[in-house]
Amino acid sequence: MKRKKKISVIGAIIIASMLAGCSNSGGTTGNNTEAPSVSPNKENTGESAAPSAPPEAKLRLLTDFKDIYPPKPDWAVWKWVKEETNIAIEQETWTGPESLALAIASGDMPDLFTVFPYDAQKYGPQGAFLDLSKHLDQMPSVKKFLEAKPEVAQRMTSPGGEMYHVLNDGLGAGNLMVWFYRDDIFAKHNLQVPTTWDEVYETAKKLKELYPDSYPFSFRHGVGTLRSFGPQFGIYPYMHEDPAAPGKIKYGATDPGFKVMVEYLNKFYQEKLIPQDWLSMDYKAWTQQVATDKTFMTIQYIGQIEIMNSQLQNGAHLKFMPPPLGYGDKAYIPKADYEDYGIAVSSKTKNLDAALRYLDFIYSDKGKDILSWGKEGETYAIENGKRKFLPQFKEPNDLRKELGIFTSAAYGFADIEASLSLSNENEKYSFQEAMKYQFPTMSVTPVLTDEERNAIMAIEEQLTKYYESSVAKFIIGETPMTQWDSFLEELNKIGAQKVIDTYQVALDRLKQNIK
Amino acid sequence: MKSPSIAKQLKRDRAFVLMFAPVLLYFILFKYVPMFGIVISFMDYNLFKGITGSEWVGFKYYAQFFENRDAFVIIKNTVLLGAYKLLFGFPAPIVLALLLNELRHAIFKRFVQTVSYLPHFLSNVVVASMLIMLLSPSTGWVNRIIEGLGFPAISFLQESEWFRSIYVLSEIWQQVGWGSILYLAAITTIDPQLYEAARMDGAGRWKQTLHVTLPGIAATVVIMFILQIGHALEIGFEKVFLLSNAATYDTSDVIATYVYRVGILQGGFSYATAIDLFMGVIGFLLVYATNQLSRRLGETSLW
Repeated sequence: MKRKKKISVIGAIIIASMLAGCSNSGGTTGNNTEAPSVSPNKENTGESAAPSAPPEAKLRLLTDFKDIYPPKPDWAVWKWVKEETNIAIEQETWTGPESLALAIASGDMPDLFTVFPYDAQKYGPQGAFLDLSKHLDQMPSVKKFLEAKPEVAQRMTSPGGEMYHVLNDGLGAGNLMVWFYRDDIFAKHNLQVPTTWDEVYETAKKLKELYPDSYPFSFRHGVGTLRSFGPQFGIYPYMHEDPAAPGKIKYGATDPGFKVMVEYLNKFYQEKLIPQDWLSMDYKAWTQQVATDKTFMTIQYIGQIEIMNSQLQNGAHLKFMPPPLGYGDKAYIPKADYEDYGIAVSSKTKNLDAALRYLDFIYSDKGKDILSWGKEGETYAIENGKRKFLPQFKEPNDLRKELGIFTSAAYGFADIEASLSLSNENEKYSFQEAMKYQFPTMSVTPVLTDEERNAIMAIEEQLTKYYESSVAKFIIGETPMTQWDSFLEELNKIGAQKVIDTYQVALDRLKQNIK
Repeated sequence: MKSPSIAKQLKRDRAFVLMFAPVLLYFILFKYVPMFGIVISFMDYNLFKGITGSEWVGFKYYAQFFENRDAFVIIKNTVLLGAYKLLFGFPAPIVLALLLNELRHAIFKRFVQTVSYLPHFLSNVVVASMLIMLLSPSTGWVNRIIEGLGFPAISFLQESEWFRSIYVLSEIWQQVGWGSILYLAAITTIDPQLYEAARMDGAGRWKQTLHVTLPGIAATVVIMFILQIGHALEIGFEKVFLLSNAATYDTSDVIATYVYRVGILQGGFSYATAIDLFMGVIGFLLVYATNQLSRRLGETSLW
């Protein structure tokens, strides 16, 4: 086994050096390809006749694990990456939310990680990730991308100007959390699509009468789902920039709208209109309910509408529903036309050049094209001058599942058109409609310095725990709503104000930097 | 008489020494070497500067833990879970062993024994998902039965007052059969003549159990008790973590889950180490105290 591996590695090296030799001798055409950084803009649009093959390298990549498109080692995206950059990607996946921290702590770090900005900014300053701002010259395409997208650059830059990761872009729309409903059931019983939470309640009651063992309305992220309900009540539950007073941090849980939301959910729970085990529901339980006529209104990622529709039978069908108004004067869904996921490079990587080359490739025009569409003949054909995916790819998720397109770290800047070209009318309609209802501000907290973060870390942990357990108890009726004021008081006692103030300082700094 | 020198002894017993070596190595490598890691609880540990480069901060993280308003609740939850586990979980295998001992039908006895210790081999993840399914208010059959009897369904896993009972009961179910093996073995060492003598004196089955079997295994029981005390505060992380949710934090947040949240998810390694070391010290004190007590009351003790 071991010997075989060794031989193949040696073989690969020999072949690679032969290739390099050939192309060097063929490179007398005067084409300068040695350093792409010299002529950044033109080089990447060149055809496959790149005269010198880049050195062969292998990169270990740690990503999250998604049930709906479990990673496969033979995904075509990794093959294309290999063809274009001569880099072999070895993908490893998380086993749980602690995997990233453990990978860093163990010292056996992969070369590349998928990370959330929060993790990048926490572990980066400690020395886990490379400060990419110092290497932008080696990554002309990344540089170009960031210049074109200052709002993305801003979210990934630490207060000191360091960049511990590069954020993905292009597929933000896929993160939209939208309401949808069973239009066939609604039509059958002549029910109107609810436009307010009151109507959601009334409709759910009628459905409960018609289907006594159903839970007409369901959601599957436990207390976390309140983040998706919030915009129908004018807030996000945690700290965010207040759309009513730009530049000010707001703590949504203390808003009157938030209380109204919890009251609704409490009523839904008491009357068994939402699943009684909503705190412990997972994806599987949720799909089962949707697929077996146990729920008729729900909130989920926009892509799930079609994923579920393809599983439903006997005329059952799901359709996008505008968010119902709960409090205030306009109902929204969480703002999501941005991506909250990025790629970081290990500070200990032994393949720095390859890692930078990889990042540069996935943000280049050519990389964007190949990693979004694949290759002509292999994944798509050109019909009437337009690209069309081959018939075996039926829905957007097939691209992810079968080819690895648009999966974590397999793209930098995605061309969403590729995904939309496979959408059916119903899904196109969902995207079009959903875009109209986005909350004006993002549900993200501004970037903190290391010092600021350490100062509030313990308070935030307590705040989150107290908030989660209290809200859960209000909803299941263990704590009566009359105790709401003491809940607010307690949040203050824990130190909510200090956290708000800290984020305010950070937001001010951010606004200052933009000017 | 002078005993032979150490070198000579080693040479003489080299076969035993060789057999012992792997165990010794195991303990040094996996139990003693990692102990040096606890120094990071007195430092502002930075993963990349390492132990030599990180700054010493003394008891800062210990103080931070006790300033935390949740500290008391977490310690209380851990201690209570441990206490209940000991109180109900410790006698269970003894009772089971005594009952099994009274069974005369050999095949039936073996069958019961096998079935009772099977759950020991189930992973906690499996046990937790079984519990979630069984106790579900909509589909679980525990609630079907409750509803069948005319009572309203109970959301067992969403009500914090149920958490401890569910945890302790499932723990007993998992461990009772396995734990009884040791006591059954101890029972077989009791001299049959004692039972004969008791029967001569007119003792029935109950009296025999009370006056022969129980005293016969008393030494084992005491040693097991002292060992269990040491484990009392080691509440298995996985099961608590898998069974808890936001609504039950009041009773289900224990040291292990707290350390997971702040230490691993948030990356506060020093802080988490401090808490764990503190609990380790308490566990050690408990074992020491029990051992002293037992030595004073009887002859049995660990050391």
